[in-house]
Amino acid sequence: MLPTKQGTIVLATLVLRLLLGAVFLYASFDKILHPEAFAQAVYNYQILPDSTVNLVALTLPWLELILGLCLLSGFWLPGTTIISTGLLTVFIGAMVYNDIRGLDIHCGCFSTEITEGPGGLSTLIRDILFLIASAYITFRVFFSQRVALKVSKQ
Amino acid sequence: MVNNQTIQIRKAIWQIPALIVLAAITAIGTNAWRSDGIPLVGDWSVEARFSDTAGDSMVISFEQAAERFEKEAALFLDARPQDQYLEGHILGALNLPWQEVDQHFMEMADRIDGSEMIITYCDGESCDLSHGLALFLKEMGYENVRVLVNGWTVWQQASMPVD
Repeated sequence: MLPTKQGTIVLATLVLRLLLGAVFLYASFDKILHPEAFAQAVYNYQILPDSTVNLVALTLPWLELILGLCLLSGFWLPGTTIISTGLLTVFIGAMVYNDIRGLDIHCGCFSTEITEGPGGLSTLIRDILFLIASAYITFRVFFSQRVALKVSKQ
Repeated sequence: MVNNQTIQIRKAIWQIPALIVLAAITAIGTNAWRSDGIPLVGDWSVEARFSDTAGDSMVISFEQAAERFEKEAALFLDARPQDQYLEGHILGALNLPWQEVDQHFMEMADRIDGSEMIITYCDGESCDLSHGLALFLKEMGYENVRVLVNGWTVWQQASMPVD
């Protein structure tokens, strides 16, 4: 048995990892189903060169799906947690960047439906919470030997 | 002895590209296989973006739109949300917010004369509200529908009449 404090940390890391995995999995479905609508959402961000929009719009949802599966199963956690933290940072950066330059766009976070509305403050707070969770899991994977060995199968 | 951190970093170094390549291969593979796949490099030119279901461009140039405005030979429809419309719009334009089109279309339908040209607009080069509205109107049977891309901005830049 692990000491209580250690046990709590392991449990908290596991719960966060499973939650984040579910979030990535959920986020990927609608985008995989509607590539054209998601490409439009990526285009609307006006950040990527036009020629790369479709390739990113096609790859990103599958990457989210794979990351979701890896987080849920504990497979390839070192690579997965780094990408997950990096992606969430980029998403937040893109939203903030467009907000600063006054571009009111539909965020395309979970659904490609136009009814989802533009990404507002609640979207930003939600993504920041995901980022904190992801950064914490990454920290546990890299800096805690026992937890990492316990959590990761790799 | 190599510590855990170094081991994890080494794993991350090969897992990161592996995961990205895996996602890209799956994405490109399924896209090629599915019937509604999209081109890997898309055409995001203005003409291609604002086209109707048959692929014909619906874009009207500012000069043409301004000429129609002077002759009162077109109805301007503002596709932005009502609060933005109230802050300022093209003189004489009606508001039909694309995001609430189902609620407002019927009341607006009485005021739209099917024979005249309809010009939809919103704000920003990438704004798609005007295009969505234009496609919807075509579907509803209005033949002569055009999109003035980045309408609100270009109208103000040219110091055209606003309300």
